[in-house]
Amino acid sequence: MRGLIDFVVRYRNYITLSTLVVMSFSLMSIGNLSDLGGFRAVIVGSIGWIQSAFAWIPNPVALKSENTALRELNLQLAVEVARSRQAIVENETLRKLMKLPQYTDHRLITADIVGKTTTEQRNYATIDKGKADGIREGMSCINDAGLVGIVIGVSDHYAVLELLINRDTRVSAKVLRTRVDGVIQWEGENILVLKNVPRSLDVRKYDAIVTSAYSAKYPANIVIGRVTAIEDEPNSLFHRIVVQPSVNFATLEQLYVVDARPDPERINLERKIDETSRTRVTQ
Amino acid sequence: MALNFDIRRSEYVTNPVLRYIGYGVIALLLSVVHVVFLRFMQVSSVTPDLLLIFTVFIAIYEGQFTGMIAGFLCGLLFDAISTDVLGTNALAKTMAGFAAGYFYRENQGMQVVGSFNFLLIIALSGFIHNMIYSFFFIKPMQVSFWIFFLQYGLAATLYTTVTALFLMLFVNRRRD
Repeated sequence: MRGLIDFVVRYRNYITLSTLVVMSFSLMSIGNLSDLGGFRAVIVGSIGWIQSAFAWIPNPVALKSENTALRELNLQLAVEVARSRQAIVENETLRKLMKLPQYTDHRLITADIVGKTTTEQRNYATIDKGKADGIREGMSCINDAGLVGIVIGVSDHYAVLELLINRDTRVSAKVLRTRVDGVIQWEGENILVLKNVPRSLDVRKYDAIVTSAYSAKYPANIVIGRVTAIEDEPNSLFHRIVVQPSVNFATLEQLYVVDARPDPERINLERKIDETSRTRVTQ
Repeated sequence: MALNFDIRRSEYVTNPVLRYIGYGVIALLLSVVHVVFLRFMQVSSVTPDLLLIFTVFIAIYEGQFTGMIAGFLCGLLFDAISTDVLGTNALAKTMAGFAAGYFYRENQGMQVVGSFNFLLIIALSGFIHNMIYSFFFIKPMQVSFWIFFLQYGLAATLYTTVTALFLMLFVNRRRD
């Protein structure tokens, strides 16, 4: 017994170390603190209480890193907001476009604008549909707001449009309210002018202008725009009627190509009559 | 008043029961400091281990046996407040106390703590402590032991050693 006590006293450090190591491993085998139920709750509660009691002390390092994290988050959110705004606008446009086929008798072919050219006062747009999709030269293009332009060139998978805001534009149009006829022309920037309307005829500001049935190129009754000003030029019998196009060409992204081409019989007849008249005048 | 203070201080030093109660109170205070204030000293998620410094201090001042017990209890306290796996820090700090206990010199504790040797002992104990701790810490993770140890273990050892410098300087000045 004495020998055992001597042994313990002599090697007490090693015995203690072994005991503590065994105890540590035993505690580790219990597992995570979360397995200890109520004990954990007490510890976590106490720590939480202490931390909340001193939470008012600012931590400059943490504030700096938090600030950086918030800036990054802000940037991400700004991008998200921009995306969602874009999606809302796109959604709204597409919804309007979806409704459009209800208001026309013609088949409509949807197309996205893949390019725009605005050089030498000639505004063109390229769409992602072509012959393969049934697009042909002379077809007119519209969107939910109104007349966009006319197809002037087609390849297998693309087509080029002459936009309404083009110096070559000539559209037979009429004032919707009074059925007064005229010809729409582009006068630069975003201004159309309704010409050949005598001063005596009734045209008012905000009157809607639509395509006329006289037009051989465009289907009738497609909205072109609204009258924004009526000017009476000196020494002229006609109004100068300024029309604001209803289509916003700057944000134009999608459109419909109207599957309706001018009637060749009508065009040939009109051309023939025109030539005959000229011949008579010459004779 | 100063006389009373000296009497109380000497009583505290000579009376082991009071001394051990004092150690317990200091350990609890250090735990609170760890929970509340150590976030201010955080450098790349590495903090100094104040309870390890305290364990080494006790081992040098009281001896290997007390150092081990203190290490075990401080480790348990640390496991509890850090919501770690219970026993991990207890084992690591027991081993640290055991290692530091080899540098115990009877009645020369404060001299050792006030010298640069204290920093070397802290560095050695910290190295052992963090080796053991890293080994058990990364066990459930798919992380290389050496990468983790070199990244965090050595950094924590260095930071703890630097922090112990303040205790060394404090004791050194008091001794003078």
